[in-house]
Amino acid sequence: MGDLRIEKSNRPPLGLDEVEKTMQKFIPVDKLARPENHILVPLEDIQQARIDQKLLPFNAMPYEDDFLKGRLHGICAGEFQAMEAAGRSLFDFPDAPWEFQLDMARQVWDESRHAEIYMKLLEYVGSYLGEFPESEVLWSCTQVDDPACRVAGINRGLEGLACDVFEQIIRLAQKMGDPVIERAVDYVLADEITHVRMGSQWMRKLTEGDPARLKKAQDFQANIDTLFNFGGGRTSQEDARQIPQRLAEKEIQFDATLTIAKEARLLAGFTEEEIERIVRAASRSAAY
Amino acid sequence: MPELGNRANVMGPQPIAQRSPVPAAMTAAAEQVLKLIESGDRAGLEAMAFERARADASALAQGVQPGMYDEHEIVAQARANQHYYIKARIIGPGAAPILIQIRLGEHEGRWVIFESKNLTGRRSAWTK
Repeated sequence: MGDLRIEKSNRPPLGLDEVEKTMQKFIPVDKLARPENHILVPLEDIQQARIDQKLLPFNAMPYEDDFLKGRLHGICAGEFQAMEAAGRSLFDFPDAPWEFQLDMARQVWDESRHAEIYMKLLEYVGSYLGEFPESEVLWSCTQVDDPACRVAGINRGLEGLACDVFEQIIRLAQKMGDPVIERAVDYVLADEITHVRMGSQWMRKLTEGDPARLKKAQDFQANIDTLFNFGGGRTSQEDARQIPQRLAEKEIQFDATLTIAKEARLLAGFTEEEIERIVRAASRSAAY
Repeated sequence: MPELGNRANVMGPQPIAQRSPVPAAMTAAAEQVLKLIESGDRAGLEAMAFERARADASALAQGVQPGMYDEHEIVAQARANQHYYIKARIIGPGAAPILIQIRLGEHEGRWVIFESKNLTGRRSAWTK
């Protein structure tokens, strides 16, 4: 056997202290870096592009031809930003409890797996990462300097939204008779439910004995819930109007709106009251 | 590690849909826009732009003199429904490269510029 001794380097080890000094904390919305061969545009520009084509400004809707490609692409980009957000929550708040940091690290790992799964699903539906532009909107939900607000916004707000979106895609896949999409998304949904619970736990733990801070975190999440109401374009699953949807040579009847997944949200630890608030807010927006 | 065979022979789930083809007319229009920028033809750019986007389109060639640029390369492309974002680098012997991004859409039977941005010196597609 050869000599296994490792030569000692003269270079000092790059410790976390040094990384902390050189890396920027709290990356603002307009500093989210992407490779040059990637198209990242502000959400309002994408909305304008849709308006220019006489479409609703929101994301691809279930009645659109490219719904599945567009929706899976949006989720895939979202998984990347969720991975970055969890990593940033770990790095931005070095004084948070060690268990908080461990949970955030675990979430980075989960989100990276999700990003890979969705890249494969994109190939499966005849798309690829980069077919559609990415917007910064999810990253805008990280713009807060309190870890309690951060987890309220990301883990409860955005991951709660993910529960809604994923549950709808699972139902769509079931109607299509497609076990690949159904099982892959169900696998990811199980993780998202865990992330919401993690967010709920940390929001409460970090604000223990400080009702004002808890209120601030809840308000931050409420703002995010409102941002993703899609101007009333969401309903409960039961209230969703059914319209024909053509996918991969099959025509099925499916939701005309984005739905709110009560069951998945209950599993994730949202209370009935919280879910009702989201449903009410969605129908209130629809009136305008 | 045991020999697992040739992974390329393994049959997994196959795609259920085809990739959406990029319209050839859009690609031709993008090439035309990039050539207009290369030659500093501001009037030509305005003529290819949707009314609201004319000033920004013309500004893409601001300060470009004939001979400064003679080459371009498309570095990224994406679509929002049937509108296409094109990010391209304009290169030449007479000046530093410029990086631009346009959005092309079909309007009244021809492809026109709906939006344009000069991204030169920015860190990524949008960020500064």
